[in-house]
Amino acid sequence: MKSLRTEGLSKQFPGVLALHDVDFDLEEGEIHAIVGENGAGKSTFVKILAGVYQPTSGKIYLDNIETKFPSPREASTFIGVVHQERELIPFYSGIDNLFLGQEMKSLGFLKKKEMKQKAIDFMKKYGLELDMESPASSLSSGMQEMLSILKILFRSPKIVIFDEPTAPLSIKESEILFNLIADLKKAGTSIIYITHHLTEVMQLADRVSVLRNGEKVTTLKVSDTNEDQIIKLMIAKDLGQQYPKTFMAPQEEMLRIEFHGSDKKTKMSPHDVSSICIHSKEIVGFAGLVGSGRSELAKAVVTGTHSDAFTVALCGAPFIPKSPKFAISNGIVMIPEDRRGEGLITSFDVKENLSFSRLSQLSKMGFRSEKRINSRCAAIIKDLSIKVFSPAQSVGTLSGGNQQKVSLGKWFDANAKLWIFDEPTQGIDVETKSEIYRIMERLAFQGAGIWFISSDLRELLAISDRIYAMYQSRVVGEFTRPFDGEKILQAMLGRNIVETTEVFS
Amino acid sequence: MNMNKFFTQFGTVIALALLFIVFAVVVPGFIESNNLINILTQIALLMIIAQGFTMVLIVGELDLSFANLASLSSVLVAGLIIHGMNPVLAILLVLLAGVAFGMINGALVTKVGIPSLITTLATGIVANGLIYMYTKGVSFYSGLPKSFLYLGRGRIGAIPVLVIIMLLDLAVFHIFVNKTVAGSNLKATGGNSSAAFIAGINVKFYKVLALVICSFSAALTGILLTARLGAANPEGAGGFLMEGFAIVLLGQTVYTVGRASPLGTFVGALIIGVLNNGLTLMGAQYFTQDIVKGLIIILAVVISSIQSKRMGA
Repeated sequence: MKSLRTEGLSKQFPGVLALHDVDFDLEEGEIHAIVGENGAGKSTFVKILAGVYQPTSGKIYLDNIETKFPSPREASTFIGVVHQERELIPFYSGIDNLFLGQEMKSLGFLKKKEMKQKAIDFMKKYGLELDMESPASSLSSGMQEMLSILKILFRSPKIVIFDEPTAPLSIKESEILFNLIADLKKAGTSIIYITHHLTEVMQLADRVSVLRNGEKVTTLKVSDTNEDQIIKLMIAKDLGQQYPKTFMAPQEEMLRIEFHGSDKKTKMSPHDVSSICIHSKEIVGFAGLVGSGRSELAKAVVTGTHSDAFTVALCGAPFIPKSPKFAISNGIVMIPEDRRGEGLITSFDVKENLSFSRLSQLSKMGFRSEKRINSRCAAIIKDLSIKVFSPAQSVGTLSGGNQQKVSLGKWFDANAKLWIFDEPTQGIDVETKSEIYRIMERLAFQGAGIWFISSDLRELLAISDRIYAMYQSRVVGEFTRPFDGEKILQAMLGRNIVETTEVFS
Repeated sequence: MNMNKFFTQFGTVIALALLFIVFAVVVPGFIESNNLINILTQIALLMIIAQGFTMVLIVGELDLSFANLASLSSVLVAGLIIHGMNPVLAILLVLLAGVAFGMINGALVTKVGIPSLITTLATGIVANGLIYMYTKGVSFYSGLPKSFLYLGRGRIGAIPVLVIIMLLDLAVFHIFVNKTVAGSNLKATGGNSSAAFIAGINVKFYKVLALVICSFSAALTGILLTARLGAANPEGAGGFLMEGFAIVLLGQTVYTVGRASPLGTFVGALIIGVLNNGLTLMGAQYFTQDIVKGLIIILAVVISSIQSKRMGA
């Protein structure tokens, strides 16, 4: 008996087809894993099932009856979703969180005693030991996750979706979670399990579906497959063929980072890469899952936080990260991932956004030189073909691609030696994406080193001269052309396969 | 420019003009030049203190200490001069104390990391304590030299010195905010401090700078208040807190909705000044004035929030 089935499920976002024609089914009492690279469409799929997004086309069947989820509220009666973000009220106790919205009452008064008993019985049923009377915020992050799972199970959904549930858990807590999932399955609950960890798939799941570029590649029985085959399926065959890359000979070394591994969080294993470097005229890709520490490493170099874990050399001379201001004056600029939060001042117009970081260069005795600001602004708009009605247009009204051009355009005459691009193409249409690649190549051609962070393995393979893979705040692999996408993906997923290559020796 | 945008940008100015015209028609004596100069004199101190607070709002912080600091400065300058200090020296000393006060606020906000609302609430209370420590609750009434009082009561031709100081102050702030790099950096810091930080702007410095300018303006206001009254009492500038907030909020509805600016604050001060003056001439009771002012502020903020929602800002 199928408890859930989708037929031709598609979701179109402006400029991006996030999900394309996905047929999926879930048996009653089955654990069905979904795997795929970042951006393969996993979270879009979950959000449609959770009622957050409406599908552009396609049908959803629950117990063979066609169903629509106009909002998360309707969906939650049937499908419980364990999100990566926890939905707990921090200062409420475990009991109060569990009963939130369905408290036991008589004459308007809470029946505290009964609620407590019921909560503890419910917890014991799943073999958990949680302090249900303390505020949720006093629990460890793993225990908070357990509590939010309990909260979802308490509403007895027929289907539970786990979205990367083990990320905040310790190994021991993960074991508890796996037992809990096994219990749920025994009780007849159907489970969709989304993860990056293939070992968990092999250990837990009955079947696994592989998503790639928004399409379902296949569904396999876990007993008929292995991790290597799944990784092969996750990688697209047409890797790196869309974007023609201009090859340049890398020149002198711009940046070198030596890791000490002294920091607890970034403790290295002997296999890890102990130093990384970026050369002039070179685009160096940083692959890794979201949360693998790629942005944190770049930010540490720029902002000067967390710098005891490594030493930095810039053009051969020691560089002690201090502040963005200091980094910029030494020729390091960063285009942050969070465009609206860190790359732009959304209440400012395009002109001010292009200028605010360079005003000291565009002024006389502390006074703004409007003439120079205007002519520079016009030049950048033309050079990057930013589509605006006028420089006075509010930057918030631009498309994602044009916002990104403004975000990076502000550094265009800064003569930076090192450009750090953090997810520069996220949420950008295909055409503008290739424009951004061309801009990166042009900067490299002019002699800059490019530090290129991306979650899209295809663009990394296409544009990079060299790639480092990061996993849990460590650099776990270095890869040179011709790239082996499979090996990079394995390194990103923490499968400890490390290639040590002598580069430019 | 469409009508909608026009009203968003100039609605508050139009309201000021309407208010002005209504009083001019209804209230005898309102439009006379003496009375108009009177209005400007009445708002001078309020506008000077509010310009400083405008800087704090521009960087996205708050200051609740400025009125108490102005009272402290008022009694301090009076006390120092009466006890025989050279007036120029006394003025410089009090201004310097204002700067120091602002730096303490700034350090607590940026180095220690206490939210500015709480920091300045606390330092404002401390300032109040210092007032009573210094004065023992007694006001200073006499003994201030004519040269000092000239600042608050003198005229150059027909124009009071106080009005000239106010206009100079307005010009300096307007140019500072709109024409200098530092002013642009203040706006960037308030617009998005993370983006400003990543782009190499020292956001902590600009937050401290704004708080220092606010405290400096408060000290200046306190000095001018003493010069105007020829006396100083412990609560002399207490009313500036609410009125200062009110006119800066009104000012945020001028031109760019939701953003404080020196010119906006001046327009806000004019609205309050015209209202106070017009209602007084009409013989309205003092409590009517407060009620009307309160309602107008609510109206202005409601209009600006509707407008900014409509613009999706």
